[in-house]
Amino acid sequence: MALKGLDIFKLSPKKNCKECGLPTCMAFCMKVAQGSVSIDKCPYFSEEAKAMLSESTAPAMKTVTVGGHKLGGETVLFRHEKTLVSKNLYAVSVSTDMSEAAVDAALAQMAAIDYVRIGERMHVEFVQVANTQSDPAAYAALVKKAAATGRSLILECWDASCAKAALEVCGGDVILDGATPENWEAMNALAKEAGVVLGVWAENLSDLYDTVKKLEAAGNKNLVLDVTGATPKQTFANAVLVRRGALRDGERSFGYPSIVNIAKISGGDDRLATAYASAFTEKYGSILVMRNMSYAQALPLYGLRQNIYTDPQKPMKVESKIYPINGADENSPCALTVDFALTYFLVSGELERSGQPVNLIITDASGMSVLTAWAAGKLSSGSIKQTFEQLDVENKIKNRTLIIPGKVAVMKGEIQEKLPGWNVVVGPAEAVQLPKYLKDKEYEAAASVAAAAAAAPAQEQPELTFRQLLETRVPKIEIVDMGVTYRGRNPESKAFVTIGERIHCIAPAIRKAMDERDPAPILKRAAEQIAAGATYLDVNIGPAEKDGPERMMWAVKLLQENFNNVPLVLDTANKKAIEAGIHVYNRTNGKPVVNSADAGSRLSFIDLAAANDAICIALCSADGIAKDNDERMMHCENMLEHGLRLGMQADDLWFDPLFLVVKGMQEKQLEILEAIKMFSDKGLKSTGGLSNNSNGAPKHVRPVMDSALLAMAMMQGLTSAIINPNDRRMMETIKACDIIKNNVLYSDSFLEL
Amino acid sequence: MPFIPKTKPFPGAVHAVTLGTGEKAITLGGQNVLPFYTFDAPIENAPKLGIEISDSAEGWDVPGLAEFYAGCETMAQRAQKAAAMPGVDFLCLNFASADPNGANRSAEACAADAKAVAGAVDMPLVIMGCKNMEKDSLLFAKISEALQGQNILVLSAKSEDYKTVGATVALAYGHKVGAETADDINLAKQLNIMLKGLSVKPESIVMNIGTAAVGYGYEYVASTLDRVRAAALAQADADLQMPIIAPVSTDTWAVKESTASEEDVPAWGSREERGIHMEISTAAADLVGGADAVILRHPAAVEAIRKFIDQLV
Repeated sequence: MALKGLDIFKLSPKKNCKECGLPTCMAFCMKVAQGSVSIDKCPYFSEEAKAMLSESTAPAMKTVTVGGHKLGGETVLFRHEKTLVSKNLYAVSVSTDMSEAAVDAALAQMAAIDYVRIGERMHVEFVQVANTQSDPAAYAALVKKAAATGRSLILECWDASCAKAALEVCGGDVILDGATPENWEAMNALAKEAGVVLGVWAENLSDLYDTVKKLEAAGNKNLVLDVTGATPKQTFANAVLVRRGALRDGERSFGYPSIVNIAKISGGDDRLATAYASAFTEKYGSILVMRNMSYAQALPLYGLRQNIYTDPQKPMKVESKIYPINGADENSPCALTVDFALTYFLVSGELERSGQPVNLIITDASGMSVLTAWAAGKLSSGSIKQTFEQLDVENKIKNRTLIIPGKVAVMKGEIQEKLPGWNVVVGPAEAVQLPKYLKDKEYEAAASVAAAAAAAPAQEQPELTFRQLLETRVPKIEIVDMGVTYRGRNPESKAFVTIGERIHCIAPAIRKAMDERDPAPILKRAAEQIAAGATYLDVNIGPAEKDGPERMMWAVKLLQENFNNVPLVLDTANKKAIEAGIHVYNRTNGKPVVNSADAGSRLSFIDLAAANDAICIALCSADGIAKDNDERMMHCENMLEHGLRLGMQADDLWFDPLFLVVKGMQEKQLEILEAIKMFSDKGLKSTGGLSNNSNGAPKHVRPVMDSALLAMAMMQGLTSAIINPNDRRMMETIKACDIIKNNVLYSDSFLEL
Repeated sequence: MPFIPKTKPFPGAVHAVTLGTGEKAITLGGQNVLPFYTFDAPIENAPKLGIEISDSAEGWDVPGLAEFYAGCETMAQRAQKAAAMPGVDFLCLNFASADPNGANRSAEACAADAKAVAGAVDMPLVIMGCKNMEKDSLLFAKISEALQGQNILVLSAKSEDYKTVGATVALAYGHKVGAETADDINLAKQLNIMLKGLSVKPESIVMNIGTAAVGYGYEYVASTLDRVRAAALAQADADLQMPIIAPVSTDTWAVKESTASEEDVPAWGSREERGIHMEISTAAADLVGGADAVILRHPAAVEAIRKFIDQLV
């Protein structure tokens, strides 16, 4: 097993002296774990620790590079466990047995396979040149011919003099697939001298293992293993046992990429070759050698490979670009949506069904759906404007009608302002309504209205100070008796901090209330959450690009003046709005919390919190869920360091590991709990949207799932959570855990407190 | 130091489910190792291979298929022809023509066809509906009744209609029922639990955990297969130990690679050959992932996958 960065960190000097050139010991250890920095760069690691690490930091499976192609480097046996990293590559075989005409034909057919499938070039990466005679000149001539194709070469040759001649004509950076238990010394010498990767083959796995051991002892670890056996069954067993031995059982001498000679085991039957190539794509072939490659074979095989080597950890995104649908041209109207793959497939499918030509513009929203992206500030008039500039829509399309998703109708005005000259029209809220909407040409009337509005001279708005805004734009706050008051709180209390999540713009009622400055729905939800015992209330005002500051000031004053200065979490992508909110915020019951920063594009939210003496929620991710705890902790370290440099207290950064959904990511839940423990071990505070855990589960199951996770997370040291306080089971669990953790003194009526 | 591989079977095993009767009866599942991992333990029952029989041959227009079934007028004749092919383990009767939005043949007429097939061949039968839920529940009931005692497998019950399909197919007529979900391991488990809750025996359930042609989101199928098998074998999860059937042909013959004409994409070559390879590649991937049975259409694909299975087991 390869060591993780955190394991190395435990042995590190933890001095943060920066002499290695990296900001912290943690960052250094992460780099060592990735293999991008040598442990020797640190002058303070003890010799003992180094010796322990040098063996175990080597990855379980080596990455071998040939002709710019990466092979191996896998860390898991199944893609769902993490991801597979190096896609299998293809070779077409030519041999000294073949006539010149046959060789030419095979190479020509191979060259014809060269196309792009969903952004990936599909072609045969290697030519395998098999030597069957002992005529160095003849073999060298064939190798020369194969080299002329420009593809990388595999020299399958067990005869040292032939191999030597071949290496002389092909100029290095090839695989010499020639070592056997008999000839390994001679072949090793040749490979080392030419500086090429050496392939190793033996009749059975025991001999293969011994030969690799001998080569390793002779100092060669630049190897690939030819696992081709006498039969398909033996070959399959070899491929699995070698890979499983390396990754599961720690057999380092099997930790090399593999070659599977499909041509040999399928005996000239191309259809059977397709079956075997598919099997070895899933189970552990690094290079698959084919007798030939036709389109009939390439289309399924490359499609399968592309699917299997898709990273399951990445959100499914499609490329941001203009997709002309139903033969759309520059005179067709435009429709816009986000880059979440499911959204794209749904919308483009319905657009196709409409039969109407439309230019579908996909804008970068980090792979989120429309409403989620909007709420997270990933879909904004600014991001749309950026997309229009990047894609040069202005010049590529003459039509000026832009249909936006009905779910973000509120953005219409902002987009209209950012894209002068365009007629922004609100489309339907659901994709299924698109065909009717387009066929009826509803957008045409709306576009002319929009055009007229756009033609009216825009009024230049002077920038107002918060104080001026407060005086002129924020409605007077009415005090309404909701029958509930916030009990007050000692900000130093150790009790678990519950953040009520129900005032969120993704809820239509709240969105409407925010837009209309209608206090009633907001006060109602606030009262319910306070009555249930929420410590903080989260106030999500949406991205609020236009009127963020006055919106936030109104919401903060409304809630604090009505509920005895209830402490608040200010939640929006609009930094100006957060600043405005803090401007009117009363700190009696706790500092304001900024929701949220991350280690990527939202790092500057930490600056905002630091400048305003606020607490900041710090998501341990950088535009996308962290792959593992190494990455999570790296983000944590970076943000902590950033905050401390700005003069923040460590306590004022609340780290969020990002809770994952059980349905779909069940095997990652323990990892999240482990991350919380790591925060807690460093004395850091933590929080997170815990109920994401049970997303999509039936209603009666959710409280059970969430409160169980919460109890486990509190055991690990979680100090806060963003939850629905009206989930009674969860609130009672929190109270009980606070007693058991000795945060709150026990009394018989602790549940009522 | 010799290399000694660490090999051993898992604590759990896939249920053995028998289809058909008499000499030609077949058993799906039974193994306690991953597919083709013969080095861990012998494979109890080799994966089974079925051939899809069309009720209309509509759209089955590639020359090789047309030639193979030349002279066959009825479903029973096509079934006889297919059953005579070496290496075929079972027949899958596809009743697409029952679709109310298509030919809308009556459930009775379809059941009569199924009965005629059962009279003409002695192979195990798998029934595929028309994907219209309402019509399928009627169709499945009629066919289950007509083929009583034949121990057929009906595809499929879904979470929306498992009660009616499970009750008629498995409880009333004692056949085997397919449990169909789409690339969702949690739902696959839930559907099995619900079928068991109806008193359908675990040995009467075969799962279809989702299908796709390679290149078309196949990663979801692949990972669902991996995870379902891991749960069945390593965790010995009794609610996921049902054998898996993968209807390959209906997906693979519907994608661009198999439908685009040679005039439209001359570089791609023979359309029939493309279709055959799509079918072979998807079937091989399904089998290595964990399918205990695959359903194919083209005789050339059947021949290749037969060799593939025989050589690996």
